Amino acid sequence: MLVLQVLTNGILLGGLYAVVALGLALVWGVLDIINLAHGAFIMLGGYLTYYLFTGLGLDPFASLPLVMLAMFVLGYLIQWGLLNFLVRAPMFNMLLVTFGIDVVLTYLAQIMFSADLRTIRPAYAGSNFTVGGVTVPWTNLLAFVVALLLTGLLALFLQRQRWGRAIRATAQNLGAARLHGVPPRFAYALTFGIGAALAGGAGTLYGMVAQLTPYVGVPLTAKSFAIAIIGGLDNPLGVIVGGLVLGLAEAFGSLWLGPTYRDAVSLGLLVLVLIVRPTGILGRAS
Amino acid sequence: MALLEVKKMNAGYGDADVLRDVDLHVEEGEIVAVVGSNGAGKTTLLRALSGVIASRGEVRFAGRDAAGMAPDEAFGRGLVQVPEGRQLFDRMTVQDNLRMGAFRRRDAAAVRRDFQRMYELFPVLGERRNQLAGSMSGGEQQMAAMARGLMAAPRLLMVDEMSLGLAPVIVERLLEVLTDIQKQGVTVLLVEQDVHSALSVADRGYVLERGRVALTGPARELLDDPRVKEAYLGL
Repeated sequence: MLVLQVLTNGILLGGLYAVVALGLALVWGVLDIINLAHGAFIMLGGYLTYYLFTGLGLDPFASLPLVMLAMFVLGYLIQWGLLNFLVRAPMFNMLLVTFGIDVVLTYLAQIMFSADLRTIRPAYAGSNFTVGGVTVPWTNLLAFVVALLLTGLLALFLQRQRWGRAIRATAQNLGAARLHGVPPRFAYALTFGIGAALAGGAGTLYGMVAQLTPYVGVPLTAKSFAIAIIGGLDNPLGVIVGGLVLGLAEAFGSLWLGPTYRDAVSLGLLVLVLIVRPTGILGRAS
Repeated sequence: MALLEVKKMNAGYGDADVLRDVDLHVEEGEIVAVVGSNGAGKTTLLRALSGVIASRGEVRFAGRDAAGMAPDEAFGRGLVQVPEGRQLFDRMTVQDNLRMGAFRRRDAAAVRRDFQRMYELFPVLGERRNQLAGSMSGGEQQMAAMARGLMAAPRLLMVDEMSLGLAPVIVERLLEVLTDIQKQGVTVLLVEQDVHSALSVADRGYVLERGRVALTGPARELLDDPRVKEAYLGL
């Protein structure tokens, strides 16, 4: 019974992890930018949801689209006004700049929101149901469903929509995309905006199942990085695999090795995947 | 009035000009071949026309000034390039590659008709529409690249080195397609190292030599002109 419970916890956590990493994987795969501010975007999304809930009484699931829209605008502007100037620059420059954005956002958050722990707790928080002896918290289940939904929507957008195709085309062959009428600066800003929106949505879900502080960004970026590596960058559905692998590994790692080793399990897994299959589990063999 | 008119074009990379004072024009409905040896400036000419690199001089396209356009703007005005080396979106299906050709088009019904037309023109693409473009043979990829360009409903299709590395029988087929699409009203600027095949389908030709127009005239005359061989061999 305990194993089933841990399995359920791991899967629910994995779904959340998938959406946590989704934006980072998209931006990395298309723009070749490892966005070190990704976790800070998640943190901002979480706080935005928190204040919409405590200030306006807006249900977190209802505020999700609003948060995503606001984060899209922020991401779009950051790419348009700042990162577009660095697109062909060496990777190290981009790491420095996104790290800088992370630091600025983290300490702005500390000044504006204080360092107190916050949790978004709507009336149904803490309620759960039991199936065959396994307890499932409603919030975690809903967060899981929304996470899969967002991942699926992104995959559909990239596969079926005109601009989704343009984004993939830009990622695969920038020169040819330009020759076929795709304005690259706009495609980049659109991609980064979508990445930030997904981070914002992840923040909403994260804030409901975990505690928010201004400092959650860096560990979330690290986790997203691991998930993106495990799942590969080619296909948004890869992050579901990566998220589930990591969620399950952490859940069972905590059970068998103790919760202290949770991060050791996830980072150990990252190292293992990098050695055995550097293009990710679903990634294309190079 | 010429569809494309280029006067005294200079273009190159950094400080070094590859093209020097190139004059060239393409009339509506023509196939015009630009031939020359490696390094004569053929690809540079196309890159300058589609705005990938900067150029100086006069360019008029469809009666409007077209100098210094960005590539997506050139594309939007119907100046469409089929680039050297195909440059397909390798990890997208053939169909999605063609859809990217129609990226700027809003006329959904006409786009659907053009899909049909492409699959009639290149039946093999119809059979492989759901296959990844990168998994096809060189000849099929060249067909997909041409179909992608045609899906843009170009006013001028600029084809760069389409015969490079392909079997003669496939080159024959692609040349037939060029005359077919000419009949359907598409104007073509064909850039080729393969002088003979390019001039065999063209109405007129230009011979580029070290960045200058060395010779120009009706394609039939150029085919028989000994100076073409000289220019081409750099003698």
